[in-house]
Amino acid sequence: MAKWRKAFPVDLADESFISRREFARFLGLVSAGFTAGIGYLWLRKKPLDGAPGPKGIPESAVDLGPADALKPGQSRLFTYRDKDDRCILLRTAEGELKAYRQTCTHLGCAVRFNGGQLECPCHNGFFECGHGFPVQGPPTRPLSGIALNVRPDGTLWAVGDLPKPGEGKEA
Amino acid sequence: MRPKAPRTAMTSFALGMGLLILVIQVYLFETVLGSVLDGHRALLGGAFIASLTLTIVALVMAFRIRGMDSGPRGKDEP
Repeated sequence: MAKWRKAFPVDLADESFISRREFARFLGLVSAGFTAGIGYLWLRKKPLDGAPGPKGIPESAVDLGPADALKPGQSRLFTYRDKDDRCILLRTAEGELKAYRQTCTHLGCAVRFNGGQLECPCHNGFFECGHGFPVQGPPTRPLSGIALNVRPDGTLWAVGDLPKPGEGKEA
Repeated sequence: MRPKAPRTAMTSFALGMGLLILVIQVYLFETVLGSVLDGHRALLGGAFIASLTLTIVALVMAFRIRGMDSGPRGKDEP
């Protein structure tokens, strides 16, 4: 008899046998896992990547430099809430400044600006620049937008989270 | 005298209920995650209580229902 078989004396027939009781316990355990996951989301204070921050809490403003630094079709990256909250600032072809979180709403890859649209290279998802709506590929939710403000001295500031498109209609 | 229902009918029901609970849990978790990503955190408390209730039902059925195995007996059943 092989050494490993002596060390683990389980018959192959028993290895493949799962009783109803064991299967039901497995179902209960998986169900408990989902409950723990929801409980974790409930207790977690920090928003998930791509989620807007809690309402009612004033958010700090972040200086993004001169407002006219970007030409139409250009973009640059910045961080907002903390060093892991990566965002992208872009100027659309029409000359509008927009900022979004870089986190794709599909599986969380970083989106990039291709001059006309925001694209997620992982699964070829595309978002339009105006409001961050998905226009092609697997994403179904819009990107999380950042509110911008140009101050009288010509500097551009990120000043908070934009409400998700359609959020105002629910109230 | 009414004939007794076979015990396996009840245990099959319990097993089916466990599967149904798991499907509901998957749907609930997916919905909750999407809502949290959209910034709606208010439903988390209710979702947690609903999920906890379903889990308690599933665990009670898994551990307390007698005669779950109608075929070969499980390791821990007399």
